Amino acid sequence: MKKGRIIYHVDMNSFYASVEMAYNPKLKGKPVAIAGNPEERRGIVVTSSYEARAKGVKTTMPLWQAFQHCPELIVLKPNFDRYREASRHMFSILSEVTPIVQPVSIDEGYMDVTDYVGSQNPIKLAEELQKRVLNELDLPSSIGIAPNKFLAKMASDMKKPLGITVLRKREIKEKLWKLSIGEMYGVGQKTADKLKKLDIETIGDLALKDVMTLKNLLGINGERLHQRANGIDDRPVDPDAVNDFKSIGNSTTLPYDMTDQQEINRIFDQLSEKVADRMERKEVVSENIQIMIRYHDRKTITRSRQLREFVETKQEISQLAKQLFQQHWNEDPVRLLGVTAQQLTAKDEMFKQLDLFNYEKEAEKEELYLTVDQLKEKYGDNTFVKLKSQRQAKMSTSFQKDFLNEYKNNQNNSK
Amino acid sequence: MKILIEREPLMASIQNVMKAISSKPTIPILSGIKLEANQQEVTLTGSNSDITIESIIPSEEDGVVNIHEIVPGSVVIQAKFLPEIIRKLPENQVELSVDDDMNVLIKSGHAEFKLNGQDTEEYPQLPVLQTDNSFHLQIDLLKMLIRQTNFAVSVSETRPILTGVHLKLENEQLELVATDSHRLASRKINMTDTDGLTFNNVVIPGKSLSELNKILDDTQEPIQISVTDNQILFRTKHLYFLSRLLDGNYPETSRLIPNQSKTVVNVNSKDLIESIDRASLLAKDNRNNIVKLVTQGQNILQITSHSPEIGYVEETLETNAIEGEELKISFNAKYMIDALKAIGTDQVSINFTGAMRPFIMQPDEDDEPILQLITPVRTY
Repeated sequence: MKKGRIIYHVDMNSFYASVEMAYNPKLKGKPVAIAGNPEERRGIVVTSSYEARAKGVKTTMPLWQAFQHCPELIVLKPNFDRYREASRHMFSILSEVTPIVQPVSIDEGYMDVTDYVGSQNPIKLAEELQKRVLNELDLPSSIGIAPNKFLAKMASDMKKPLGITVLRKREIKEKLWKLSIGEMYGVGQKTADKLKKLDIETIGDLALKDVMTLKNLLGINGERLHQRANGIDDRPVDPDAVNDFKSIGNSTTLPYDMTDQQEINRIFDQLSEKVADRMERKEVVSENIQIMIRYHDRKTITRSRQLREFVETKQEISQLAKQLFQQHWNEDPVRLLGVTAQQLTAKDEMFKQLDLFNYEKEAEKEELYLTVDQLKEKYGDNTFVKLKSQRQAKMSTSFQKDFLNEYKNNQNNSK
Repeated sequence: MKILIEREPLMASIQNVMKAISSKPTIPILSGIKLEANQQEVTLTGSNSDITIESIIPSEEDGVVNIHEIVPGSVVIQAKFLPEIIRKLPENQVELSVDDDMNVLIKSGHAEFKLNGQDTEEYPQLPVLQTDNSFHLQIDLLKMLIRQTNFAVSVSETRPILTGVHLKLENEQLELVATDSHRLASRKINMTDTDGLTFNNVVIPGKSLSELNKILDDTQEPIQISVTDNQILFRTKHLYFLSRLLDGNYPETSRLIPNQSKTVVNVNSKDLIESIDRASLLAKDNRNNIVKLVTQGQNILQITSHSPEIGYVEETLETNAIEGEELKISFNAKYMIDALKAIGTDQVSINFTGAMRPFIMQPDEDDEPILQLITPVRTY
């Protein structure tokens, strides 16, 4: 691992609202909120412009409450196609700077520019990047520059909108440690509450706490957070990290309400094929298959089956989906069907029981595995973390997952 | 045919032969128990495609009368209801009689059952085992040999030969080996009176051995074992247990057992079982049931397990001694517990040759030639 990396964290400012403003410049300077489809999101604010935020509108706030804070609020339904399009452009601009781009969600990503900054000043490069995104897409962004992902992420949060913040490791005492613990990336409400019981109020308090206490309180995560608070984070910017999902699902609204089981089975075949394809690309297997049935009256049910073995092929998935459907269908006309593979395990994270009669094939590589192991240990990359780690995207909708998947596909196709 | 018999020995015999009766017999008559009475004894027979069990009730033994009246004859009675009928009869004596039309009458006290029997002519002739390849063991020893090896047979039919226990007699030494290709159990005992008998590649189905183990009482009486090409007969005073042998060549297993080691751990078995058991509490949910073992210094073992969605457990165990290279190895906790229980001694010595290679466990004292081998898992 190289010393002195230069990592950017690029964070789009109130992305959905900004995209809407780019489409309709009349909205600029006005309080705008994007609220999901009322039926589906029960009228909750998904994101809002800075003008709306200034009035007290917050993400996840119910609309009625948002109107109390800001009666002139302009509420828009989300146009996912627009956001997807904008995001794709944004990431393609980032990819022109360095191929090492790791999208974290639709509107943020990490870049490792260490080997691509050349003789240029990294701050200058970031400014140019920010300007390009603003000029070409009319979208504001904030960029954090730091020697690792964690600090870059914290830095991009420090100045919004259109900020560029450099956070050097030697500056963490004055810039990072004073922040309250709840603002630390990776510390949610529950973790913050636990830490506060130990009188840890700021990131600095955490950095100075002894590791054992934290490990006892939070397990491995305690140790990790302690390192982060001290500005240590050895995770590489991994363009393939798009793979880290907990489930893979596809659904489709039917062209007309269906009751014919043969037709429905064909739909399940198609959906299962898509799911199996995506699983294959991500090299994962599943232990739980779920189906979704939405009836003509919008009544929606999901049913799943816990499996004792891993499944991965179209045939396996489709068969389970059809069985589930048969068990739970009430024979009403069906409007939408979905198939989701849950409880995913990366193929390379499964254990492999060695076989007495041919273990030697594996044993030959023992040295290699040992080295990999030592490296992992040295850089704190716990094999188990991958699946557990939840992306910290504020909105982890299936839409975002699909987007990331597409990003990945595009990357693959362009290779 | 007519017998007046004590209920208890009859019940015990029925239970023994029931072990050979399949709910889906290859030929219909095998769903029945065959009863044969002659002047001295009553013989019950149950059979399926793998095993045949004969249980003999002598009319009198050690001054105890089992059968009060015998009119010789024979009949096959449906096995499905017989055990429950006999168990629930009101009196301690049972009168069982058969008329010429094979109607069976079972009387005890005021209770009377009439059952339809079948002619024994339709019951297949059991093969007469002709062999001089016989040797003797003490029953309790045989039971121990079965317990120490049979758990390791394969339950999967992918390699059918591995579903059996391999028996070999050579140079006055009897060796039993079982492996499911992930772990291996081996036990040797020295024999004295084998008259130069040798055999190899005798593979007894694991299921047969576990049934045999259930039927045999833990006594020091002898059991005679006779081997032919395709069958094995276990014979005690009142029991014949005939099993088919598995076809095919058992793999050569001696070459699989490492003869050198890089790390040797000497530890108290009970302590190790308990801490592996605790560590596997979290792993049990996870089909793999994997625990990780790490040596720390001269005498500490660290045992950990991690289930992605559940949690993490870590425990350290003080050993008697750890010699050799440092080691980290992951394996199936159940295999380890099975093996330690089979060894059954206070102290056990574990020899490792690397994280990707099988390791062996043996009693610390070398007087028990038992060896348990486990192949680790590769964690990616």
